[in-house]
Amino acid sequence: MKSNEKTTSPLKLRNVVKYIRPIFGILVAVYIIWRFYLVFIVQNLYGPETWTRLLISGLIIGGVYSLIAIGYTLVYGILLMINFAHGELMMIGTFAGYFVFEAAKNISIPSAGNPEMVFANAYPALSILIAFIVGMFVSATTGYFLEKIAYRPLRKAPRLIPLISAIGASIFLQNAALLLFSPQTRNYTNPEVLSRGDGWKILINGSMVTLPYTGVFTFILSILLMVGLLFVVKKTRLGKSMRAVAMDKDTAALMGIDVNQTISNTFIISGALAGSAGVMWGLHNGMFHYFVGFIPGIKAFTAAVLGGIGNIPGAMLGGMLLGLVESIGPTALDISYQLKDVIAFVILIVILIFRPSGILGEVLAEEKI
Amino acid sequence: MKKHLFLSVVVLFALVLVSCAPAAAPAEEAPAAEVVVEEVVSGEPEVCASDAYGCAVIEPGQTVKIGMSSPMTGGYADFGIDAENSGLLAVADAGDFEGWSFELMAEDDEGGAEGGAAVANKLTADPTVVGMAGPLFSGATAAGIPIYDAAGIPMLSPSATNPPLTAMGSAVFNRVPFTDDAQGSAAANYMFNTLGFTKIAVLHDGETYGKGLATIAKSEFEALGGEVVVFEGITVGEADYTPILTTISASAPEAIYFGGYSAEGAVLTNQMKALGLEDAVFFGCDGTFGADYLSLTGDNGEGSYHAKPKDPPASDAKGKFDADYLAAYGIAPVVLSPFSYNSYDCTTVLITKVKEAAVVGGDGNLYIPRGAVVDAVRGLTNYTGISGTYTCDEIGECNVEGPQFMTIVDGAFAYAE
Repeated sequence: MKSNEKTTSPLKLRNVVKYIRPIFGILVAVYIIWRFYLVFIVQNLYGPETWTRLLISGLIIGGVYSLIAIGYTLVYGILLMINFAHGELMMIGTFAGYFVFEAAKNISIPSAGNPEMVFANAYPALSILIAFIVGMFVSATTGYFLEKIAYRPLRKAPRLIPLISAIGASIFLQNAALLLFSPQTRNYTNPEVLSRGDGWKILINGSMVTLPYTGVFTFILSILLMVGLLFVVKKTRLGKSMRAVAMDKDTAALMGIDVNQTISNTFIISGALAGSAGVMWGLHNGMFHYFVGFIPGIKAFTAAVLGGIGNIPGAMLGGMLLGLVESIGPTALDISYQLKDVIAFVILIVILIFRPSGILGEVLAEEKI
Repeated sequence: MKKHLFLSVVVLFALVLVSCAPAAAPAEEAPAAEVVVEEVVSGEPEVCASDAYGCAVIEPGQTVKIGMSSPMTGGYADFGIDAENSGLLAVADAGDFEGWSFELMAEDDEGGAEGGAAVANKLTADPTVVGMAGPLFSGATAAGIPIYDAAGIPMLSPSATNPPLTAMGSAVFNRVPFTDDAQGSAAANYMFNTLGFTKIAVLHDGETYGKGLATIAKSEFEALGGEVVVFEGITVGEADYTPILTTISASAPEAIYFGGYSAEGAVLTNQMKALGLEDAVFFGCDGTFGADYLSLTGDNGEGSYHAKPKDPPASDAKGKFDADYLAAYGIAPVVLSPFSYNSYDCTTVLITKVKEAAVVGGDGNLYIPRGAVVDAVRGLTNYTGISGTYTCDEIGECNVEGPQFMTIVDGAFAYAE
């Protein structure tokens, strides 16, 4: 009997610890369902037009988060390192796109019909294309040199060292932009075909819901880029070498893969995606400044963890989910909008309680470094 | 390995150093080491011994410094730049005192409490700082008051309008603008009586100033008989407020009253238009007045309302200031922010009071009794500045004239009827 007692008491304690997480998760889930019930059944304040608007804004911001999150996931998959300067790559892309549009706005192409025609409006598709190419190129170049200068010398160092280097690089890039471009908030000048605030009008429940041009453009482009990235990773030689390096650097090197080049390519790709996300951000939201990359960067990092860091479809899913939760969450749960990040992070915690490696993440077989 | 580690640490250190440098760049070089030892000084005037805070000792060749704490980077930078512009003119106009010149130390507090406390600590550590023409923002002010209080640095804020600031019991804090009690009730009255709104939404940025103002406007509007359908806070610094605006649009208010600053106000204004709030009026405050709001909103800002201090009466001083400001900076005052005149007045008052109290000691140093200056600023009576005539009451409210509402017509601010 006595020996039994001795073994049960630590067991009980362990049981409590074991169940405390699911219990917490279930409590939060019950609370969320209760709030849903209150908002949808008891109060029922909002018609379908409100939910459609929230859905639209959630998907648009979710698309941007996804694109940035992919950059985190790619780098993590290959180096097991969080590139905290990734948000700054996006900021640099935003600036690059801005200067292209400013140039396009100031090149005048007078025509017979309209003497005040400018390049941005005469060739909107071309100027948008150039803006994206320049934005992606500048961010990709920054990403390439970021890896060369801040991370490559530290590759054999303990894991925390490159992380600190990343934070330093992030602060450096922010302040470099602050010095170069001044602290003022700037505003994108969109070509007329993509003017902010305009969009297709849909009549829902007697109210006009605007499907903004910039939003649709942003969403479709981010989906296209993600599909393109998946193609690159799954079907091309470059993607194959990236996957091989992610799996095992030493063996990949023995197989004749240039590991350094592959890592550089990864940073170029993730930089290009962040740059395109930056230009999209500018086109859709308009206002930006040197600090614009910080919040999306943190959010996208969260999205990458949510989806399962290291997993590309997971980053896409996580980004979309985070965008939707941020947008719909406070209204659907009837909680103050100041707490929208709290809601997003509580949901992150609940998901991580039940799936510690993220929604689509798999448990990694071994340490990669 | 060890060598690599060392290298990496060095690289990191360099990175951090480099990254710190720009942030520190706007600041002046570190103050020269100063020897203030009360008992050793031979030439110390008698007034210093009896002064509550002791004397600031300015050696020949040093400058007498007036501090300023305002946002100079980030989304609210226009406010800080405007205040610094005005303060520099005030310092230039003040001239010298017995061979000592004055210097404005305008520091960046980013408008927040952390920055306000950091600037306060930095300025109070410099023994030649004898006054604070600020801080501009209420959040930074609330954080700074205890620090300036302990150091005996008289404060005269041109724009911190949050009502409880003067109720903190500080001996050093005074301000010249209208308070948010006045602004909130004036705005509620204006919306209800003049514009005829009965159903509004009230938003704020959750900061000291914005939330305080929004709360006052809400209760005043409800006291008048109006309905506030939504009272919500937003998170600052974001670029997308469509979700909260969508929720607001479901209850179709006639106006959105916003307590906060132009960075967020402009985003709200721009995004209202595509969400079923096309007909709702954006009603801002003195935090949303300024060139920044105009340039960021463009056509979307038409018909929105904002507040600023009442226009000062025409005077020689005002004419000179307007001309000087235009000549020095290429724009007119009260374009970047509503508080150009107030900033000039605050800096001038502080310099004037410092001059009145300062004594040249027997050892050739300039002695400024801090407590005497603190009392002199609090005791300001019928002082005529550009903005009007100031008389400070016993808690430090120096000018309680209400706000003037402005509306945007054809891309420019115009007086609202």
